Amino acid sequence: MADGKGGYRGGVDGALADFIELLGKAILSGIGASVVLALLTLGLATAAGAQGKPNDAKTGTLLLRTGAAGGFVAAPKVETDVAIHVTGIVARTRVAQTFHNPGTDWVEGVYVFPLPDNAAVDRLWLRIGERLIEGQVKEKEEARRVYAQAKREGRKAALVEQQRPNLFTNAVANIGPGEQVRVLIEYQQTLAYDNGEYRLRFPLAVTPRYEPAQEKGSDPFFNDEKRDLTPFLPILHPGYAPAGSGVNPVVIGVVIDSAVPLARVSSSYHEAVVEKESGTRTVLYLQKEQEEADRDFELVWAPLGGAGPQAAVFTESRGGTDYSLLMVMPPQAAAAGQAARATLPRETVFVIDTSGSMQGTSIQQAKEALLTGLSTLAPRDRFNVVEFNSATRPMWPDALPATAENVGYARSWIAKLRADGGTEMAGALAFALDGRDTPGFLRQVIFMTDGSVGNEDHLFRLIAQRLGATRLFTIGIGSAPNSHFMTKAAQFGRGTFTYIGDLREVQEKMARLFAKIEAPVLRDVSIRWPDGSPVETFPARVPDLYQGEPIVVAAAHPALKGTIVVSGTRGTEPWSVALTPSPSGEHNGVGALWARAKIASLMDELRLGADEALIRPAVVKVSLEHHLVSRYTSLVAVDVTPTAPAGEKRTALVKASAPRATAAGELPQTDTESTLQILLGLLALAAAAVVALVGRYVPAEGTPGTGGAK
Amino acid sequence: MSAWPLDGNSSFAVRGRSYPTGDAGEAPEAAPAARRARRWPVAAVTALLLALAAWQLGGAAWIHAKAALAQHLIASAWEGTKKDGAKRPWPWADTHPVARLTVPSRGISLYVLAGTSGRSLAFGPGHVDGTAAPGSAGNSVIVAHKDTHFAFLRDLHEDEEISVEDVRGRVTRYRVREVAVVDKSETRLLDPADSPQLTLITCWPFDAVRPGTSQRYVVIADRA
Repeated sequence: MADGKGGYRGGVDGALADFIELLGKAILSGIGASVVLALLTLGLATAAGAQGKPNDAKTGTLLLRTGAAGGFVAAPKVETDVAIHVTGIVARTRVAQTFHNPGTDWVEGVYVFPLPDNAAVDRLWLRIGERLIEGQVKEKEEARRVYAQAKREGRKAALVEQQRPNLFTNAVANIGPGEQVRVLIEYQQTLAYDNGEYRLRFPLAVTPRYEPAQEKGSDPFFNDEKRDLTPFLPILHPGYAPAGSGVNPVVIGVVIDSAVPLARVSSSYHEAVVEKESGTRTVLYLQKEQEEADRDFELVWAPLGGAGPQAAVFTESRGGTDYSLLMVMPPQAAAAGQAARATLPRETVFVIDTSGSMQGTSIQQAKEALLTGLSTLAPRDRFNVVEFNSATRPMWPDALPATAENVGYARSWIAKLRADGGTEMAGALAFALDGRDTPGFLRQVIFMTDGSVGNEDHLFRLIAQRLGATRLFTIGIGSAPNSHFMTKAAQFGRGTFTYIGDLREVQEKMARLFAKIEAPVLRDVSIRWPDGSPVETFPARVPDLYQGEPIVVAAAHPALKGTIVVSGTRGTEPWSVALTPSPSGEHNGVGALWARAKIASLMDELRLGADEALIRPAVVKVSLEHHLVSRYTSLVAVDVTPTAPAGEKRTALVKASAPRATAAGELPQTDTESTLQILLGLLALAAAAVVALVGRYVPAEGTPGTGGAK
Repeated sequence: MSAWPLDGNSSFAVRGRSYPTGDAGEAPEAAPAARRARRWPVAAVTALLLALAAWQLGGAAWIHAKAALAQHLIASAWEGTKKDGAKRPWPWADTHPVARLTVPSRGISLYVLAGTSGRSLAFGPGHVDGTAAPGSAGNSVIVAHKDTHFAFLRDLHEDEEISVEDVRGRVTRYRVREVAVVDKSETRLLDPADSPQLTLITCWPFDAVRPGTSQRYVVIADRA
């Protein structure tokens, strides 16, 4: 019995052990099979996905499609060096971009880069070895054709197009394997002059950042091509080789030639090295490091003794026409401000953007700015606050006196604002600019937003139509506000644009803005030219002048004999100044500045609803005459000799500029789980099949066995 | 013939371990029960795996079915939208069709919805808020899933034609200018442009298995 029991138990135990073993085998082989399948599938999928060299696919790297089926190549790298020469209030800048092709294919490099808002781009050179090929201005389509043909024929070519007034692309065709091609672009601009300081900005924030730079030995760019930059040479400090790894290096050099010695010069966001050369010439240079890539380069300087120029006129003769750039500084005496202040109380409407995009520090800055604004109001002033996101919500239906009680109420109202919802700006603008004028009051609208709107042109029209006697001041909030929109909005609103990039700047900038707009220093400005000559000026109508602002006007006219008289109303008194232009033979680029201003003015007309069929030819004409890049004209340079194998080997690629380190957001996520689910589903199916098969097979072994015993 | 003895040997070995001598008489009765006992966990595991497979494949099928079916439902909303302004494809929808995108050479016809929320992208390509309206001057950006609506982008090449019909029934034709792969942080692609331009964006690589890729495939087309 014991034996039998034992035998029986042994049988059961044996069967159990056997069963567990079999089950284990079945499951293990199932799992094994699925793992193999999984690895195989994943491996295949990864291999397929990683065709474009997975190691290169770091943030910011662009992998681009080649003509060959499914192949991708790494984008060329671009090195930039910038040479800026300042004379008075005009700056001429040469941007040199060197394209390196790290790959083994012939590629096309397309580089998107920003320039200052008012840059008049008028020169392009393509440098190949020792040769320098100068670019020509052509209508956009024509230029594209020329470029495309050169690209097909395997010739090197460069094409500079304007995407937006402050955003350009430079396309370079047929860059050979391991080759570098250098493109030089020049532009002219007027400088901002405000409160006794000159301000020069070069946008860097969008400077591209691609794959980590390869180790560079001796850089031919720094050894060979210095002579290329002879006029700007002092700025390229010897031994200042690009050291940045992980960023496309940028070197900036500035030469300032001023009439009077400078009291101070400072770089706002970067550490620039200043070298004084002589009394009136200042030289400085900057090497941008990676961590500084998120801020524009800004240089601020002031002439000695705070005595800025009171009036100046620069002239250039070109093709029988004289071009003048006129700058007049109204007297800055504080007494004038006091006197003006006594004239009119203000009615101020603060408009604050509380849309979702303002969330975070932006809304904080805006609130801070608003509260600072409230504190500048006197009891006799009137004010209102309007918030807008998807809808417009005014605090009061109409402006009320700025009594302590009302201001207190506004403060608590503002504290409760939350950023959420869409950006419907039109309603808020329409409410604030109601076309009404409050007699006896200086009516001002202070508009605080990050400007993330799509219907810009519609809003410009709205502003222009409803402005009346009101003035619109825009305040850009946040790290990357749409400054083009806000500058233009302020221009249509005959006010100014203030950018606040940092919470710490709020107090200072708002205080300065309000001190300025408390009273215009000069109103109803007009310019009288000698002997009633036909003169085309930009801006056509000089805006009100506020404390510390100069009048800057570009004009085209026949040769002038006599004096130019600038007049206006200062406080309640008439005011005027006479200027005598002294024609100079030198090409100082004033003509290009005038042309750029004219193009800007024509484009504004287009925004206000003018017919493109009329505007386009006018823009093309002035652009061709002055050799300028515009919305309708581009610069193109083509090499004479083909260097690349013609035809099939073309490589289309975009090199968009790198993310603004400060820009919020990213492109939408556009993949689903379906691939993963299909894969998991198939794996589960396969595993099920294997388990079922092995499970079936195992008892089947038992069956013949028992059958055999029988 | 040579396979048999091997097979027989192995089964014999199994039997030899399983059934000690002397109990041979019990074995035939015990066998079916034991077989059943052995089989049910295998069947259970198989069933479980099958259920998992059904669940996963069903999920994928649901994504694709939603993507395909919704387009049919949107078709009538589109006709309505063209007649009397924004119309929702179904009463609880939080979006409405804004354009119809066609690629004649590839037989593609898609209704584009307003906005790019995950919910609306499941039903159709989304027009990015704040970019130019499809068909208008400026840069109009449309995004869609790489697995469904925009799977065809991987085959699209330079110079191919894309048409966009806007809410007023006007058709604008575009020609592919370039194709690129960019990092998802390249929000510059959404920036306005001076000339009419269509930017189509989807995730890259197309074969990526796990969702959440950090790169985007971009097709940029200019008005023809």
